Amino acid sequence: MATSNPRTPLPSRIVMAAIDMSVSGDLPLGIATSLGRVFAGFAFAAAIAVPLGLAMGAARAVERNVDPLIETFRPIAAIAILPLAILWLGTGTAAAVLIVAYAAFFPIVVNTLAGAKRIPPTLLRAAATMGLSRFTTIRTIIVPGALPAIGVGLRIGMGVAWTAIVAAELAVGAKAGGGGSGGIGQMMFIFYAYSIELNRIIVCMIAVGLVALLLDRGIRTGMRLLMPWGVA
Amino acid sequence: MADAAAVTAAVDAPRRRLASAAVYLRTMLVFVLLWWALAAWTANPALLPTPRAVAEALVELIGDREVFMHAGISLGRMLIALVVACALAVPLGLLMGTSPLLDAIIDPTVEMLRPISGIAWIPLALFIFGIGNALPLFIMTYAAFFPILLGTIAGVRQVDRRLVDAARTMGVPQRTILTRVVVPAALPALLVALRLGVASAWTAVVAAELIGAPSGLGYAVEWYRELLMTPQVMVFIGVIGLLGYACDRAVREVAARYTPWAAETRAMA
Amino acid sequence: MSAQASAVPDDIKLRLVNAGKRFGGSAGTQTIAVRDFTLDVRRGEFLVIVGPSGCGKTTVLNLLAGLERATEGSVTIDGRPIDAPGPDRGVMFQDYALFPWQTVWGNVGFGLAHGPAGAGLDAAARERRVRDCVELVGLAGAEAKYPHQLSGGMRQRVALARLMANEPDVLLMDEPLAALDAQTRMIMQDELLRIWGQDRPAAQRRTVVFITHAIDEAVFLADRVAVMTTHPGRLKAVVDIPLSRPRGDATRGHPQFQALSQHIWSLIRDEAQRAAVT
Repeated sequence: MATSNPRTPLPSRIVMAAIDMSVSGDLPLGIATSLGRVFAGFAFAAAIAVPLGLAMGAARAVERNVDPLIETFRPIAAIAILPLAILWLGTGTAAAVLIVAYAAFFPIVVNTLAGAKRIPPTLLRAAATMGLSRFTTIRTIIVPGALPAIGVGLRIGMGVAWTAIVAAELAVGAKAGGGGSGGIGQMMFIFYAYSIELNRIIVCMIAVGLVALLLDRGIRTGMRLLMPWGVA
Repeated sequence: MADAAAVTAAVDAPRRRLASAAVYLRTMLVFVLLWWALAAWTANPALLPTPRAVAEALVELIGDREVFMHAGISLGRMLIALVVACALAVPLGLLMGTSPLLDAIIDPTVEMLRPISGIAWIPLALFIFGIGNALPLFIMTYAAFFPILLGTIAGVRQVDRRLVDAARTMGVPQRTILTRVVVPAALPALLVALRLGVASAWTAVVAAELIGAPSGLGYAVEWYRELLMTPQVMVFIGVIGLLGYACDRAVREVAARYTPWAAETRAMA
Repeated sequence: MSAQASAVPDDIKLRLVNAGKRFGGSAGTQTIAVRDFTLDVRRGEFLVIVGPSGCGKTTVLNLLAGLERATEGSVTIDGRPIDAPGPDRGVMFQDYALFPWQTVWGNVGFGLAHGPAGAGLDAAARERRVRDCVELVGLAGAEAKYPHQLSGGMRQRVALARLMANEPDVLLMDEPLAALDAQTRMIMQDELLRIWGQDRPAAQRRTVVFITHAIDEAVFLADRVAVMTTHPGRLKAVVDIPLSRPRGDATRGHPQFQALSQHIWSLIRDEAQRAAVT
C-alpha cells in the first residue's frame, strides 16, 4: 500500500513537515536568505533600469543607441548566464544577486520605456506651452504618467527575480553538491538528492508559490500608495 | 490621398530599416570594442575571453556540428512541449473563457498552481522522472501551460460582445458562433499568449537542461563551464539567446500573416 | 389596453405594449431602463426614436431585436412574441460590428453562409445576392478589402449590405451614423433613404426603426418620430413628419423641416438638460 511507506506525500505529512521545518527555523531561514538576495538584486536592477527607461523614453537618441544592446540580451534568460556568473563570482551570494539583477532588469526597463513613450503627446505639448523646462517636464509629467507602466514592470521584474533565485539556488545546489550558500532553492535540491524527503520538497514548493503571491501583492499595494489618483 | 501616403511609406520603409540596422551595428561594435579592451586588461582567458577567442570557438563548434546537435535537441523538446501545452491549454481556456461556471470551478486550482513556477517543480520532477528527456519536457510543458491558458481566457473574454450579438441577429446557431466568431476574434490575443508561452518554455528549457538532462543547450553550457572553457560557454549562451529571439520572431510573423487586422499584431511588430 | 397578441391590425408590423425592462438583482439595486413603453410600428414605415443620452433608446431596440427580453409587457412582430434574435429583424450596430478577419465579401455573406437566411440557396444564388447587396450600397470593387482598410463611411455601408443580404423584414438601427463626420453623415443619410427605397412605392419598402439623438437627422429620415423621456425611458410623444418623399437637400432647408425640428427640440429640451447634469 502506498501509504505504508513513510515517504509518500500525503496532505497530513506535508503539514507535519511544514510545521517541523518552520519551528526548527530551517524554512524561515531559507526563505529569508533567498528573499535577501532577491531584494538586493531587484534594488540594483530597478536603480539602473527605471532611470534608463525614462531617459530612453524622453530622448530618442538614447533609445536608439541603447536599444540594440537590450534587445540582444533580453532573449538570453538569466539562468543561462548562471554558469558565467559562477565562473566570475563563485557559487555564493554575489553570483545569485547578479543573476537576480540581470533577470529583473529587462522587464523593468522595457515597461518603463513603454510607459514613458505612452504619455499622450498632448500632455507634453501642454507642458511646453506652459514653459516648463525639460527636467521639470520629466519630473512632473513623465514620471507620474509612466508610473502605472513602471509598476507593471516592477511586478513582472519581481516575479522573474523570485523565479530566477529559486532556479539559481537549485542549479548551484545541484552542482556544488550540497555545500553552498543556502536559500530555499538549495533546500529543495538537498531534499531531493540527499534525504529524499518528498513531503519537504512539496512544502518548499508551496512556500515558493506563497512568497511569489505575497511579493506580487506587496508591489501592487506599494504602487497603489504611490498613485492615489488611480489609473485612468 | 491615402495612396500618396502609402507610396511614401513604402519608399521610406527600406530606408528606415537600413538606418536602424546601421545603428544596431554601431552599438554592437562599440560593445565588442569595450569587451575587447576589458579582456585585454584582465588578461585571463578563463575569466573573460577575447571576442576573437569566442569567434574561434563559434566556428569550431559549428564545424563539428555540436551547436546544431544541441540546438536541435533543445528546440525539439520545446516544440513538443508547446504542442502538448497548447493542446491542453487552448481548449481549456476556450471553455473557461466562455463558461462562467467552469471558470469558477477550475480557477482556484489555477490560481494556486500558477505562482509555483516551473522551476520549483524540478526537484519533484527529478524524483519522478529522473535525469533524461522526460524532465525537460515536463518542466517546459508546465512552464508554457499557464501563460497560454491565461492568455486564452483573457483573449476570449475580450472578444467584442457586439460581434457575437451581430451573429445572433443573423440567426447563426450557438456552436457556429463559437467556432466562426469567438475563435477568430480571439486569435490575435491567442497568438500573444503563444508568444509568452514560447518565452516561458524556452527559459525553462535552459534551467531544466542545466540541472537534469544529458543533452541540449543548457547541458552544453554547464559541460563547458565545468571544463573552464569559457569561450564555448559564451557561444552556447549566445545561441540560446539567438534561438529565443528567432522563435519569438516566428510567432510574430505568423501573427502578422494570419491576423493582419489586429491592433495587437501591429503593436507587437 | 390588453396585449391581445393575435388580434393585431394588418398594417402594424411591430408592437410594444406596456413594455418594460429592468436590470439588476434584488429590488433595491435594480435599474429600470424602460418603463411602460407602448408603440406601434407600421409596415414599411421609417420610424425614428429620439431622446437624450441614456434614456433607454438602445434598450428598446434590443427588445425589438430580441437581444434582451422584456421584464414587463409584450413585444411582438406580426402578432408573434419576440424572444430571440433572428435574421427577420436585422440589426445595425453603432460601431458596425464587422468581423475584422473577414473581407467585405465574407462579411456580407456571413449570415447566408452560417445562418437560416441562406438555407435553401445554393452557392450560386448566395453569390448573386451578396454581389447585389454590395452593389446596392455602392461598394462594388472593394469586395476583397478588410474592414481595417476601409473608412468609417465604407464600413457602415458594409454593415448595411450585410444586413440587407439576409433580406430582413425589419431593419433596426442603433445610431449608425454617430461615428461619422458631419459631411459623410449627410451623404449617408441620403444613401440610407435611397437603399431603403424612398424612390420606390411605399408597399416595397421595409420597416425601419432607427435610433438617433440628432433631431435634424430624425426629421430628415422619418415618417414618424417617437420622442422618449429619460430615466426611466418612456414614450413622451409621437410626431408625424409629413414631408414629401423623396427627400434631399431641398428638404433640409424647407421651413416645415425647421418647424418640426424646433417642435421636437422643445419636447426634449428639459429632458436633455436633466440628463446633462445628472
